[in-house]
Amino acid sequence: MKPFDIVIVGGGGAGLYAAMEAMKTNPALNIAVLSKVYPNRSHTSAAQGGANAALANKAKDDTVEMHIFDTIKGSDYLADQDAVEVLCSEAPKIIRELENIGTPWSRLEDNTIAQRPFGGAGRPRCCYCADKTGHTILQTLYEQCLKKGVIFFNEYFALNLSVNGSRSKGLIAMNMKTGAVEAFPARTVIFATGGYAKMYWNRSSNAAGNTGDGQAIAYRAGIPLKDMEFVQFHPTGLRKSGLLVTEGARGEGGYLLNKDGERFMARYAPEKMELGPRDLVSRSLETEILQGRGFDSPAGKYIHLDLTHLGADLIKSRLPQIREMAMNFEGVDPILEPIPVRPTAHYSMGGIDTDNYGRTVMEGVYAAGESACVSVHGANRLGGNSLLDILVFGRIAGHTAALEARKFEPSAISEDEVKDQLAELRSSMQPSGHYERYGELREELGQTMALNVGIYREASLLKKGIAEVLELKERFKKVRVADSSDVFNTNLLQVLELKNMLDLAETVAAGALAREESRGSHTRTDFPTRDDEKWHKHTMSTLVDGNVKLGEKPVTMGRYELQERTY
Amino acid sequence: MTVSTDQHNEAKRDVTFKVFRFNPQVDSKPYFDDYKIPVERGVTVLRALNYIKEHVDASVSFRAFCQAGICGSCGMRVNGISMLACTSQVWEVLAKSKEEGVIKVEPLRNLPLIKDLIVDMDPLVDKMKHYSNWVDSSMPEAEMGKKEFLVSEEEFLKYDKATDCILCASCVSECSILRANKEYVSPAVLLKSYRMNVDTRDSIHDLRLAELVKDHGVWDCTHCYRCQESCVKSIPIMDAIHGIREDALESRGMKDTSGAKHAEAFMSDIEKKGKLVEATLPFRTNGVLWTMQNLLPMAVKMILKRRTPPPPPMVKPSKGIKEFRGEFREMSEHVKQDHKSHKK
Repeated sequence: MKPFDIVIVGGGGAGLYAAMEAMKTNPALNIAVLSKVYPNRSHTSAAQGGANAALANKAKDDTVEMHIFDTIKGSDYLADQDAVEVLCSEAPKIIRELENIGTPWSRLEDNTIAQRPFGGAGRPRCCYCADKTGHTILQTLYEQCLKKGVIFFNEYFALNLSVNGSRSKGLIAMNMKTGAVEAFPARTVIFATGGYAKMYWNRSSNAAGNTGDGQAIAYRAGIPLKDMEFVQFHPTGLRKSGLLVTEGARGEGGYLLNKDGERFMARYAPEKMELGPRDLVSRSLETEILQGRGFDSPAGKYIHLDLTHLGADLIKSRLPQIREMAMNFEGVDPILEPIPVRPTAHYSMGGIDTDNYGRTVMEGVYAAGESACVSVHGANRLGGNSLLDILVFGRIAGHTAALEARKFEPSAISEDEVKDQLAELRSSMQPSGHYERYGELREELGQTMALNVGIYREASLLKKGIAEVLELKERFKKVRVADSSDVFNTNLLQVLELKNMLDLAETVAAGALAREESRGSHTRTDFPTRDDEKWHKHTMSTLVDGNVKLGEKPVTMGRYELQERTY
Repeated sequence: MTVSTDQHNEAKRDVTFKVFRFNPQVDSKPYFDDYKIPVERGVTVLRALNYIKEHVDASVSFRAFCQAGICGSCGMRVNGISMLACTSQVWEVLAKSKEEGVIKVEPLRNLPLIKDLIVDMDPLVDKMKHYSNWVDSSMPEAEMGKKEFLVSEEEFLKYDKATDCILCASCVSECSILRANKEYVSPAVLLKSYRMNVDTRDSIHDLRLAELVKDHGVWDCTHCYRCQESCVKSIPIMDAIHGIREDALESRGMKDTSGAKHAEAFMSDIEKKGKLVEATLPFRTNGVLWTMQNLLPMAVKMILKRRTPPPPPMVKPSKGIKEFRGEFREMSEHVKQDHKSHKK
């Protein structure tokens, strides 16, 4: 195959924006997007609430500077402040650009883009399209990529980078439709593969495929991951499935109630109440449940998210998807009854370490969106900043790769390398002797992560978690792919995804054990306070001899000094 | 392939899933496998399929991703009706099953089969491209990001519902025209085309419409409403199809294409007689030459079978035609007024 200038792995918001921007930057480049699902299926579609930008349409006194401050404070001062500046100052422009190319934003009375309040934000700056914001953004970007003639390799699963010393030669991937392993020689590769929170499985709001594929591939190629221990738990997952009820439900005025009918957030965030930042609200829910003030049911303990006082009209017009989901998955109509919720693993702050241009330490390899860690979210991401992140840094990565691609000489990927990959897949499909079942391993991984590396963490639990993950990695070597067909082997796909989750789970648990402090989403009961002296730094995870080796990297300051974080 | 259930729990029911199987590598034709599993209330069809894949037969192949009804991956036919597996409750489906305790699961129709419940979505994507299913912004690229278009509530509401579409292809699967003609534009693409054409930010309305009125386009729909009935997001797809047609008649005229002429012939017959003059309808729709060349053999067969419609002079106006004509004109006037006020 003729070498590509850019191969983008992942067709969600970050990947599609990167593709669109790269084509705009240099239309002569040979660009491909490779995705394990049709791009319009990507998990960007599940983002409900919106994207933050200081447009000042709703609150006329909102400024980019206030957005920067809210984001840095929300991150518990672990975000790199120069990166946050890029994120927030690019925000108004990129939201308008999306508007200009057809995103159907909801509107205010003066016909400008609508904005609403969101957790941890000083002003109502979250731009939205009802509660289907991510879906409509993804559709818009996909449509525009079709318009521009972007080449898509849909339903291709990325296996590994092909590396020559410190340089990437391109990517090796499996065509799901045929089972063939194919080489994609490329001057540059951009990872935009989304998050890894699905390792918590049933206690996760994520799609089945949010298995951190790009992060795992980069990690195996020797590229460091950053701040992997920071996993955001969203306060309001549906009790039974972990599926998400958007923060927009609280932004529109929803209450969180314990079994005594009390708006308990008054105890934890008296000013912001239900609109405190996510880590704080999640811990508050968990504390209420742990102290016996939650509701009980065969499907687990839970808290009430009450929207009944908002009225049928508002719920139908602003939160239609939430109503549909509550009815489908809990059998509850939020117009009439409160929704049963509990915290659910939702977002990965950690990811592939990049600079502000999306570059990784490996020449020609870039990352953007949830798969990357720039870092703009630090220890805790604010609601409405993840869609913004994928747009802003997707575009920057696409632009940078387009400018730099031709600097790199393309190199071929040998037939042997491709054959080796295929042989590896084949061997896992022909088990002999004792074997392990995929479903069991995955179930156990989810359990151990939720129990030992969950919202509240402590040394003994984390050690147990690490030991169990390592044991699962051992057992995985004997896992069996029970489906032997070449065509669309979804069983093989599941097994490959589990491998990625196992590799990353070790970095999450190890980072969590090492970090002896509480910061943002990472809460150690044995180290309950933030320790800036020892831990105001990023955690770096590198793969050395098959296991994780931890290192560190300083946080870029420059705008705001460390302060205590209260709401 | 039965999983036995030792204790019969009241909260659980034994359900047999009759699953469509086809692996092109080994099978010469499709067949069904039965999987009997216990299912409790509140379990979706997708969760049941996941259970079968994990505990009974790992080779059963289907797509699934978000599991929350927003990504559109798991469209399939459950008991003959296209829907999302992830938002369909097993017990609810069971209540309408023809065969008690059995749920039949098949791939979507009208798209090429790949394996088991997986169909090829590429033809749909190709059609989205063919019909320019994107906003081609009236703003020059260099100006983008500087200011917003101002969009009124009224303008927004025209496309709001249509943007709910998740391209699950349930409507494609249910479409009766697509069964006969795979080249037909398809309901999802008509919906998206409509959504683009009513967007005031778009600049290629005329170009898109010109494509939509051609063969295999908007005039081929026969109003069976199956697309709308099966839409998992309850989008009024037929409103979009009618919307495109009205737009075509208005901006391209009644003599534009055979589709428009067909509509005009209908209108004129109804006004004159209160019913159709079917014998001359093909001439008025497609012209004398085309009709003679293409429909003559069928006409001969119809004559032999004595199934010919009555000749025009024999079609007598319906009873109360005068009164009806008055009402008809009044209605037409209302529609015109509506269009005018929409345009403002």
